[in-house]
Amino acid sequence: MRNESDREIQSFFDQLKEKDLKIDFPVFPEPTKPSGINWWIPFGIAASLALGYFLWPQQKQDFNPPAEVIIITLEKDENDNQQILIEEKTYLETWESPTSSLLTEY
Amino acid sequence: MKKHWLETILKELHSEAYHWSRQCCSFDEDRAKDVLQLVYLKILEGKAVYKEKSQVKTWLFSVIRFTAYEELRKEGKNTSLDHLADMAYEDDPPENDSHEALLQALPERQKEVLLMVFYHDMTLEQCAEVMQLHIGTVRTHYDRGKKKLKEWIEKTRIEK
Repeated sequence: MRNESDREIQSFFDQLKEKDLKIDFPVFPEPTKPSGINWWIPFGIAASLALGYFLWPQQKQDFNPPAEVIIITLEKDENDNQQILIEEKTYLETWESPTSSLLTEY
Repeated sequence: MKKHWLETILKELHSEAYHWSRQCCSFDEDRAKDVLQLVYLKILEGKAVYKEKSQVKTWLFSVIRFTAYEELRKEGKNTSLDHLADMAYEDDPPENDSHEALLQALPERQKEVLLMVFYHDMTLEQCAEVMQLHIGTVRTHYDRGKKKLKEWIEKTRIEK
């Protein structure tokens, strides 16, 4: 392809190449390898959860049974003597409709 | 495996790639560095894929050339890669007779073919692949460019 007359042109480009050798060119960018799993992240999450578990204000559950109501009633017996009756009942057992008095009073 | 292999070849071709990038960027070193960075990024992100139809060097040169013109077009310095005007050039060599100035005075495609053949030791077939032109068209650019450059080299020598 190249003949004698190309020598001049080749020498021109050789000179250019020589000049270009003095040019600083950037280094080849090395691709950074992924560093696998960063174990600090899961470790940090686990540590935070553990710390949170111990420091979280825990609500104390009240296991006491509901207080019973002591009902003291005054009743008259067969001889017209007044008698005190003491009964212990839970709330549910003693619940009374707030309007029940209407039935008895009117 | 293929990625590692390509990386090794790119590393070997890095110096040549930089010079080609500089030549495509009108010998502007800063722009050449930016263009090469963009090219590597394109390859890394899979936007430029080597399909083993050509040599790695030919493929890489073609990506660099395309990216360089893409950047020039963004800056409004050139209209399009397909419309690189082969304007009528001056008969007299440029006042600045440096190697770069003489090459810059040539029409773009003639400059590219001569650089690829004489500087980068590529064949006309490879030039045609890089420039995506018919081999006949490339040969015409090669002959015209060679003739003009030879004239200018002789003229500048006489003037000196």
